[in-house]
Amino acid sequence: MEKLIADLKKQIVEALNLKHLKPEDIGDDEPLFVEGLGLDSIDALELIVLLQQQYNIKISNPQEGPKIFKSVKTIAAYITAHQTA
Amino acid sequence: MAVYIKGMGAISPQKTWDDETLLSQAVGYRGNRLTCIEPDYNQWIDARTIRRMSRIIKMGVTAAFMALKEAGVERPDGIITGTGLGCLEDTGIFLMKMTESSEMALNPTPFIQSTHNTIGSQMALLLQCQQYNQTYAHESFSFESALLDASLQLEDYPDQNIVVGGVDEITEISHTVYRRFPVFRREVNNTLTLFESDEPGTIHGEGAAFFVLSGKRGEHDLARIEALTTLYKPDGHQLKTGIKKFLDDAGISPDAIDLVLVGKSGDATHDQETENTTTSFFPSSSIGLFKHLCGEYPTASAFGLWLAARMLQAHHTPDVVVYRDTGRALNNVLLYNPYFGTHHSLILLKSCRDTL
Repeated sequence: MEKLIADLKKQIVEALNLKHLKPEDIGDDEPLFVEGLGLDSIDALELIVLLQQQYNIKISNPQEGPKIFKSVKTIAAYITAHQTA
Repeated sequence: MAVYIKGMGAISPQKTWDDETLLSQAVGYRGNRLTCIEPDYNQWIDARTIRRMSRIIKMGVTAAFMALKEAGVERPDGIITGTGLGCLEDTGIFLMKMTESSEMALNPTPFIQSTHNTIGSQMALLLQCQQYNQTYAHESFSFESALLDASLQLEDYPDQNIVVGGVDEITEISHTVYRRFPVFRREVNNTLTLFESDEPGTIHGEGAAFFVLSGKRGEHDLARIEALTTLYKPDGHQLKTGIKKFLDDAGISPDAIDLVLVGKSGDATHDQETENTTTSFFPSSSIGLFKHLCGEYPTASAFGLWLAARMLQAHHTPDVVVYRDTGRALNNVLLYNPYFGTHHSLILLKSCRDTL
């Protein structure tokens, strides 16, 4: 899980072009949207594409989005659950 | 159509920002491609917004912000953009990524920002400007179309301040594609000496030049745009007739033009005709050239207009621009921009030195 979280942080910084941040600056439980990193709806689309391209995971139910993308840790948990399923 | 230039901003292969000396230290390039000298965009655009912007968006938005700053205008009454090829970098990225993922996933940011109107819309978002916003993509008439639209808007609402400009970028992909056509020279030792050799082909350029225009005369106007026209694929006779009609309609004779700023591109295929036309039509005018400074691209006329207006403001023609000097003071400048022998545009500028 720790490696997955570290990988995700790197991928998020790169995919969203967060040049002012280092991956390690993002807290595992830090909120990604609005507060915290302050990401927006276009970033949410980028994260969906990231999961699809990097982890071959498609989010079938968009309603789950806010729960999945709450923090890096929740994304990692979702990936872990769906890759092992 | 008289409209007044209140402020200008240009990002080009020359140091056209933060430079009080107007091209006193022109930059020459080796090869067949010129690249813009870019400012620190963080000084102009919010860091949270800039992360999504490709280079052409940053160039366009910043050049427009420079123009607004010089004009002392916080929020314009309209934004009109001309771009021949639009946001090529983002187009290339989303197409490449779509191919890499076997068309199964589309990265939203480059897709959304690949459209031609992204530059104008980003300006509107950053300035919270919800008024007239238009983008013209008509190859080498893109900037001229934007300028014409602005003049028509200002004819109806002369008190307004409208941002209008032209912007195009070179990307690795676009340069590679262009190189397949015999339009650029293989190698130029120094682009500043472009006109010293008589060869086919020109040099690839890019840039962004934006203007704040108003129909109302002000104390600090930089120049007045008096008239504009475009001529598509004219033959030699039609070109001369077109220039004569343009000047007649503007109420000015050829010998009243102090300087013709010509968009000769160094391409021997078309330059001879351009040379013949300008020297025969304007025997007593000074002649200046500018494409060795910015290269050839669809909206190079925006750079030409920026240069013509700065020269009128400074009452000075930089040495690097002079092709034929008749020693005349600059009051009336004609910008004549031919593009690969097909698109020809004429823009007449006048000095604003006369008192209000």
